[in-house]
Amino acid sequence: MHKHYTPFSSKRDTLHVNGYHGFSRRSTTPNGRPVPANAARLMNSIEGDLGAEENPRLSVFRNLYAKSEARISSLFGEGGTDKHGNTTNAEELDPQLNGDPFEDAPAPAASTRTKPARKIDEDDYDESEDEDNETGDESPLKSKSTGPPINLAPSSSAMFRGLSSSSTPASAKLASSTSAAKTTEEARKRLEEDKKATEDAAKRSFHTVFHTLENDRDAMLEQKKLEESERQVDIEMGGAGAAANNANGLGGNAQQGTLSQTNLGASSLTLKNLIRMIDTRRDKVDATDSELKTMMSEVRKNRSKWASEDKVGQEELYEAAEKVLNELRGMTEHSGPFLTKVNKKEAPDYGNVVKHPMDLGTMTKKLKTLAYRSKQDFVEDLNLIWQNCLKYNANPEHFLRKKALFMRKETDKLVPLIPNISIRDRADVEAEERRQQNGDINMDGDEDSDDEPIISSRGRKAPGKKAKKGTTARKAPAGVPEGSPAAEAKPSSNHLAPNGLGSNLKFEHLRAESESVMDGSQKDLSTPPPGTITPAGINGILGHGTQSDGMDIDVDSSINGIVPSIDGPNEEAENDDLEYKTWKQVTKKDRAQVTAERHRLFLGDHLNPDEPALRRTKLGMRRWLKNQRQAVSDGALGKKSAEEEAEIRENEESQPSGETLAEGMEGEEERVLPDYYDALAAIPDIPNRLQWLEDSSGNVQEPSGEFLRILPQGLFTSPESNLTRKIEKNLRQIQETRKVTSKIAIVKQMQLQSQMYQGQFQKHEPAPFVEQDIEPTVISEEGLPIAPSVSRAALQRSTAKLLVHAGFEEFQPAALDAITEMAGDYFTKLARTLNEYSQAPQVAIPTPGSQGSGIAFKARFTTEEIILHTLQENGADLDALDSYVTEEVDRAGSKLAVTHDRMKAHLADSLRPALTDAGPDGANAFNDNSEQFVGGDFAEELGEDFFGFKDLGLDREFNMASLSVPLHLLQNRMRSANQAQNPSALSSTPLSDLPPPPPLTPVTITNVKNEIGLVQAFFLAKLHANNDDPLVEDDDLPQKQRFPKPRLPPTGKITSPRKRPLKEQGPGKGHPKKKFKQSNGEAKEAGKDNVAEKESGKEGDKGRKDGTQTPGKKPTTHGVVSNGAPAAGHSGGDVTMGTPTPKGKGKSGNENEGGMISPESLEAT
Amino acid sequence: MSLLNDTSVPLPKEDIAEGYKRIVLIPELQQMMFVAGETGEPSSETTTLIEQIVHEQVIEMLKRSTALATRRGSRAITTADLFFLIRHDKAKTSRLKTFLSWKDVRKSARESDDKGGDAADAAGDDALGAVDVAGGPSVPVSELSKRSKKKVKLPWDISSFFSEQLPEGEDEDDEEEEEANAATIVRLQAADRRTRGMTRDEYVHYSECRQASFTYKKAKRFREWAGFGIVTDSKPNDDIVDILGFLLYDIVQTLTEEALKVKQEEDLNKSRNGDSDAQSKKRKRETGLFDPPEEGTTPVTPKHVREAFRRLQEKPIPGRVRVWMGGPRALQRTELKLVRYFSLPF
Repeated sequence: MHKHYTPFSSKRDTLHVNGYHGFSRRSTTPNGRPVPANAARLMNSIEGDLGAEENPRLSVFRNLYAKSEARISSLFGEGGTDKHGNTTNAEELDPQLNGDPFEDAPAPAASTRTKPARKIDEDDYDESEDEDNETGDESPLKSKSTGPPINLAPSSSAMFRGLSSSSTPASAKLASSTSAAKTTEEARKRLEEDKKATEDAAKRSFHTVFHTLENDRDAMLEQKKLEESERQVDIEMGGAGAAANNANGLGGNAQQGTLSQTNLGASSLTLKNLIRMIDTRRDKVDATDSELKTMMSEVRKNRSKWASEDKVGQEELYEAAEKVLNELRGMTEHSGPFLTKVNKKEAPDYGNVVKHPMDLGTMTKKLKTLAYRSKQDFVEDLNLIWQNCLKYNANPEHFLRKKALFMRKETDKLVPLIPNISIRDRADVEAEERRQQNGDINMDGDEDSDDEPIISSRGRKAPGKKAKKGTTARKAPAGVPEGSPAAEAKPSSNHLAPNGLGSNLKFEHLRAESESVMDGSQKDLSTPPPGTITPAGINGILGHGTQSDGMDIDVDSSINGIVPSIDGPNEEAENDDLEYKTWKQVTKKDRAQVTAERHRLFLGDHLNPDEPALRRTKLGMRRWLKNQRQAVSDGALGKKSAEEEAEIRENEESQPSGETLAEGMEGEEERVLPDYYDALAAIPDIPNRLQWLEDSSGNVQEPSGEFLRILPQGLFTSPESNLTRKIEKNLRQIQETRKVTSKIAIVKQMQLQSQMYQGQFQKHEPAPFVEQDIEPTVISEEGLPIAPSVSRAALQRSTAKLLVHAGFEEFQPAALDAITEMAGDYFTKLARTLNEYSQAPQVAIPTPGSQGSGIAFKARFTTEEIILHTLQENGADLDALDSYVTEEVDRAGSKLAVTHDRMKAHLADSLRPALTDAGPDGANAFNDNSEQFVGGDFAEELGEDFFGFKDLGLDREFNMASLSVPLHLLQNRMRSANQAQNPSALSSTPLSDLPPPPPLTPVTITNVKNEIGLVQAFFLAKLHANNDDPLVEDDDLPQKQRFPKPRLPPTGKITSPRKRPLKEQGPGKGHPKKKFKQSNGEAKEAGKDNVAEKESGKEGDKGRKDGTQTPGKKPTTHGVVSNGAPAAGHSGGDVTMGTPTPKGKGKSGNENEGGMISPESLEAT
Repeated sequence: MSLLNDTSVPLPKEDIAEGYKRIVLIPELQQMMFVAGETGEPSSETTTLIEQIVHEQVIEMLKRSTALATRRGSRAITTADLFFLIRHDKAKTSRLKTFLSWKDVRKSARESDDKGGDAADAAGDDALGAVDVAGGPSVPVSELSKRSKKKVKLPWDISSFFSEQLPEGEDEDDEEEEEANAATIVRLQAADRRTRGMTRDEYVHYSECRQASFTYKKAKRFREWAGFGIVTDSKPNDDIVDILGFLLYDIVQTLTEEALKVKQEEDLNKSRNGDSDAQSKKRKRETGLFDPPEEGTTPVTPKHVREAFRRLQEKPIPGRVRVWMGGPRALQRTELKLVRYFSLPF
């Protein structure tokens, strides 16, 4: 039994399942089906009806119900009948069933005939479940077989849930009305079920099938028409309503009616059945009447608007009729023409052909004015419409005929849902009942009288007993045997079953495969699944899947036979694809609504600015998410086995399922539309790395590590290549040459100026070219970074480099910008052309392969071709590029090297006059190192402490790095030398013309006697001091050692004729000094090393470029040495002349040691 | 000999109506063509066509150099502007430089000789004429002229990168000069071959033709012809005029040579395709020992010149990347190219 229950409950709306599943099981456990279980089922089913409409109220009601139910169950204890009773009852019923006449549809009747029989067998539970040919819905019925046998037949035949069978007492009292009520209920439920199932089916297709929106407009228009007609009916009703009510005898009852409407509503039906049940088992109920009454009043809720205490059957009839009518009207695709009265203008002769016009609108009106007295009336009117249409549109081709036929078919399908009841006055019915009760008292037991008050009290609650009974009683005479209404009800419900199937068939196929499981999981998404909540989990979840699967398969097989017969007509009337049709039907209303909403946004051809903006709602997004997830699970479920399904379900349960997005939004109605109708609510997929993920402890997971990367270096610098190397070499060469030229300029300036100042000439020291790369950058994107400003800067730098290469020293920013723009533009074009060629359509090449003639595709152009084409298209070609490289880069490089050498030679030349003029010692001392002159760094050449600064501690005092001679000290010499050299200088001309006087013979020990006696002693002393070596003339002394020529200052005062102590100025002193220097060569060199180190430390990597100015660097060493040679020869055999050579050696050694200068590097520069 | 009299060649009427510019220059043109290898007497149509082409070229040169000068901010064209136009033609640039330096020599020589009389003048003229043609080897090189020979400095030369100039004097054996020499040598060789078989009179005529110049002693006429004052505002100095003359001479020579080549090809093609049986028979006869030699020496016709000009325009200029900034190449208006001597592969 559990097995039967569970699928049932799982198929039902979860709302109902929630509360009652466990409960009903509890109640059933020992003996099978006790009354409370039935009641519970009953309630469930009713709630099912209500659920759709009255959700808010439902929970309240459910609570109340749960309470009362609990009490009732406790009262009843172990009640219930046994199976045997059931079977006998059923058997008794059987003949009755078969014997009953059926109103229509013999085919369904035939099927019903077999079914009940089988049903009864099953009730014995001897049969295996395989024989259970009925739908899963039937299982509850079996449980209800505990109830009176009379009810069993309808229930089983209807293959329907709780209600139909629900525990109608065997007693005949109220039989007709209850069965009628039951069938109505059934019909409604069936409709609901159908609808719901169709909707489900359609919904399922939402994720797999896409429909265009082309029908939406039609849907909208039709819907509009429908609404229009409704409004019209309302308007027409508005005035006449009250009068009509009065005329119908309801006027006096109005107050009562409204009261019942608000207070009781449809739930009264539930109570009615419950009460009846209680009545039948009154003996087993341990509660006083008052208790029961209060319970009832608590539970009692709304009643339908049709309810009337006076009219028996009105509520049921009208309820069903309205449903049918609405259903028919809702088929706007076909019902459109029938919604309103035929317009005279459209069809002027209509009145002639059709005598009794009728339309759905008029019917609605009639229904609202309670003009129908029986089902018969209603059905006649309906058929009248179609007949009218067929009559008027005699042409078989006419499109309206088709519609009318379709509508008729639909009508035929729906009409059986209406209970075949005639409205009677309550008074008559009650009288009848009373009569019957007296006869049947045995069946119910003793305490009928006790029951009476309850029932009657309910009846008495409608005190207004009007005199208008006669009208209602007309069609249902009081003397009608009770069996017949019940019998009538049965066939109708029997008939209903196949019909229901027919309409269900469309989706039954779909559902059969996956529904049961899917339903479960589906519901899991939004609400807590029943399985998890019910305490008896063993039966709960596990029972679900397997059992329902079996059930569904059965259903499918049993139904399949019926399919063709019922689908046939449908297909006839409608050519459309069945699925599509279903879809259209199901979604029509919502589509129309959506389209209308959309339509409102427009005003003429433009957007209407006054319309409120479209906004996405939380609800919409949530729904979207839900559907999305559902779609995923649907797709997954189609293939997976049960275990996997369970897994999935668990997963879904474990997820909080996005409910946080919108709490408390249940109130809004759900649309039956695919997601793509609500584009606003769509939520794009968020890449994993952007999602907010939390780990188990609630910490945010930082996924950045997975996708962040450091930009590789060198993206924004010029790539290493032969060309760039060449260009850079040229650039360096140009810089070097510029340095040389700057020195030349200084020298030239020195020649011209009469006075120089410290700091007059700035050292020309261009900064080396360094391409700075960007700092390490972290990016999260794939591929190349897009950084226009950086790229542009890089391009600008490259452009600037080329400009420098072309000989520019500096440029205006605007010019550079312009050139950069042009370059960028050109490169863009190149890239675009390149792209175009590389994206050329591929060419098909037939390849004679092993498996026949395949066709391979290959790119239209090879890479080479692409590049060549691109160059050609943009005005360049390989020759041009090649010649650029050879002419502008290679040849320029060699030319630059030549120019550099010549510039250096030129510089040396321009310095030489100063050297040669400096006298024998000077020439040697300076030893042709032109850079030293310019830099003034030749102090080392002369001796570290040439000026005695070190002795005096000046270097420490002033913190001097090197004791070099300031440049301007040289200037005088340079100038005088220049003037001396310059042929235009007047002073030099006479000098050159006259022969120089013979050099004075040096004074020696031997010739000192020839001198004047006065000075002989002086000379002797000198000679003695000079180790008897010959004395040196003052003029022959090195410039620095000469006596300054005594000059009289403008003041006329002779202040300090000697700047230096006398002992140093004598030639004798000069000699030891030189010797000292020579002997101390090593020390000196060490000192030089120090200096060199200092220099290198100071200049760092710039060293190479600045090399020309560092003391160690003498690129023209050899040349100048050779130059120096004649000078040495000229100076005669002075002892000091030996010094240059070792000095030079030492120097070169130093160069090698210092590693700063090597001959190779000299040549390289 | 006969060419000397060609000044009297009847001219098309429209030319007369238009003015005398073409009348003036066509004789020189014919002389130049003769030197370039055209032995026959070209029709006036041909010469007019060539003259038109040359005219167009000179206008183009003036236009462009004026544009350059304007961009530089000055109104006067300098030699650098003209050099810039032919900068990709290294050999021509080099020859032009040589030409200018020798012109300098001539000028200084004239200055120094002004006192000494006009005797040296003729020598200088000779020098110029020779330079015009061959770039110097035939010029008597005196010590004096060598000393004052000045190099032309161009702003895009490497020497201009630096603020200090190198002293003059040292011989830079430029590759450019080598190229120029190579080109000259080819021409001289061609001239040698032609003059080898010449009689004395013929050679005299030839050497006279070699001295033909658009500008020498007709500077005024040349200015008017070239549209000075119309195309360019400034009054260009003598250097400019001389350079233009030099370049135009070059153009005429190149054009004629190319036209001759075209004609040669055409003849070859004709004979090979067997224009007709009669033609081939004639051929056979021609090979005979005593055939009259005049047969093959028909002058170039305008179509040859046109084809030659087309070819010259077609040739891309090596070392020059012409960037199309404005869009696809097909939409670009191709500019007029200056005819350049390209027979040597650089």
